[in-house]
Amino acid sequence: MRVLVVFSHPNPESLAGAALASVLAGLARTDHEVRVTDLYADGFEPVMSADERLSHAEPGVGRELQRYADDLAWAEALVLVYPTWWSGQPAMLKGWIDRVWVAGVAWELPEGTNILRPLLHNVRRIVVVTTHGSSKLTNALQGEAGKRTVTRSIRTMCSRRTRTTWCALYGLDTIDDAKRTAFLDRVERTLAKL
Amino acid sequence: MRALVVIAHPCDDSFTHATAASAAGGLRRGGHDVDVIDLYADGFRAAMSYEERLAYDTDTPILDPQVAEHADRLQQAEILVFVYPTWWAGLPAILKGWLERVGVPGVGFTFDAKSGKVKPGLTHVRQIVGISTYGSPRAYVKLINDAGRRILTRSLRMSCGWRVRTKWLALYAMDTATHDDRTQFLGKVERQLAAI
Repeated sequence: MRVLVVFSHPNPESLAGAALASVLAGLARTDHEVRVTDLYADGFEPVMSADERLSHAEPGVGRELQRYADDLAWAEALVLVYPTWWSGQPAMLKGWIDRVWVAGVAWELPEGTNILRPLLHNVRRIVVVTTHGSSKLTNALQGEAGKRTVTRSIRTMCSRRTRTTWCALYGLDTIDDAKRTAFLDRVERTLAKL
Repeated sequence: MRALVVIAHPCDDSFTHATAASAAGGLRRGGHDVDVIDLYADGFRAAMSYEERLAYDTDTPILDPQVAEHADRLQQAEILVFVYPTWWAGLPAILKGWLERVGVPGVGFTFDAKSGKVKPGLTHVRQIVGISTYGSPRAYVKLINDAGRRILTRSLRMSCGWRVRTKWLALYAMDTATHDDRTQFLGKVERQLAAI
C-alpha cells in the first residue's frame, strides 16, 4: 500500500518519536511505499491565515501546501503519530487538518447544501498511534475528543469503507519502562499487519 | 466577576468577532469586568516548541513572555468565554495551541508527584462559556461528535474543579443561515451572557 505517515511531536527523542520508529519498522516488514511528513521538522505553520479563511470555499491549497495535498491524494493508508494533549491532536496536527484538508483536497460543497461531499476515496485505512498522559478512565470521562476527530470527523472525507485502527498508550505519567516497550512492540506488530 | 473572553478567528470583521463583541457587551451589562484576548490579533504562536516541551517537565514550563502574560490573565478569570468557529468538529489550531501552551503544569493543573495524581489548577473559574459557529447542521455535528465542545466542557472543566458551570451557545448551518438567524444569535449571546 501507499502509506502516508504524519508525525507531530516537537521532540524526536520523545516516546512519540520512538513510536514513529516502530511504525516505520513495522511498515518495512511488508512491501509498502512509505512517505513520512514530520510537521515540526518541516516548520509547518498550523495557523490558518485570514487570506486562506476568506478563500476557503475555492478549491485547492496555496503553493507552499501543495505537496501536503498531493501526499493526501496519493495515500491509501494514513498513519498519524502524535501525543494526545488536552484530549486532542496537538495544535500542530490540528493545523495540518485545518489548512490541508480543504475544499478541492478533502471535500467539496455542492451548491445549495451544507453537507460536505468527500474527495479522499483513495484513503482506505487510518491508523492512529498516540500517547495519553492521563489514565484510560480519565480519558473516557473527558470523552476522547481527539479519537472522535479522527474516527468520525476526518474519516467521513475518506472512503466509506475506511477502517480505523487505534493504538494508544494511557497513563504515560505513571507507567514504567516495561509498559513503554510493550507499547512500542504493539505499534510495530500493528503496522506490520497493515 | 472577572471574565476573560478568548477569540480565535483570523478575520477582524468576522461573525465570530461580532459575537465576541455581543458577549463582552452582555458581560459588562451584567456587571462583570471584561478582559479580551484576541489570539490572531496578538499573533499567538500555536505550536508548542521543542524548548517548551522540554521545559514542560520542569518547575518553569513557561518560556515565552506572551504566554506568561496570558497565563496571568487566565489565573484572574472567574468566567472563561471562548468564541471561535468550529473547524473539523474542533478548536482552530490557534485556540488548541493556547490551551497547550498556557494551560501547562502550575497553571491548568498541578501534578502531585507523591500520589501521581493531577489536581485542577483553575479552581478560581466558576463558569465556562463556549460560543461557536458551525458550517454543518446540528444533527450532523451531533453525529460526528463535537470534539471542541468536549475539550472545553469536559477536559478543561476537569481543571476547574467540580462546582464550575458550563454554558454552550451554538449557531449551526452557518453557510445557509439568514441575516435574521445571525442577528437573533447575537441578541441571544448578549442576553445569556448578561444573565450570568
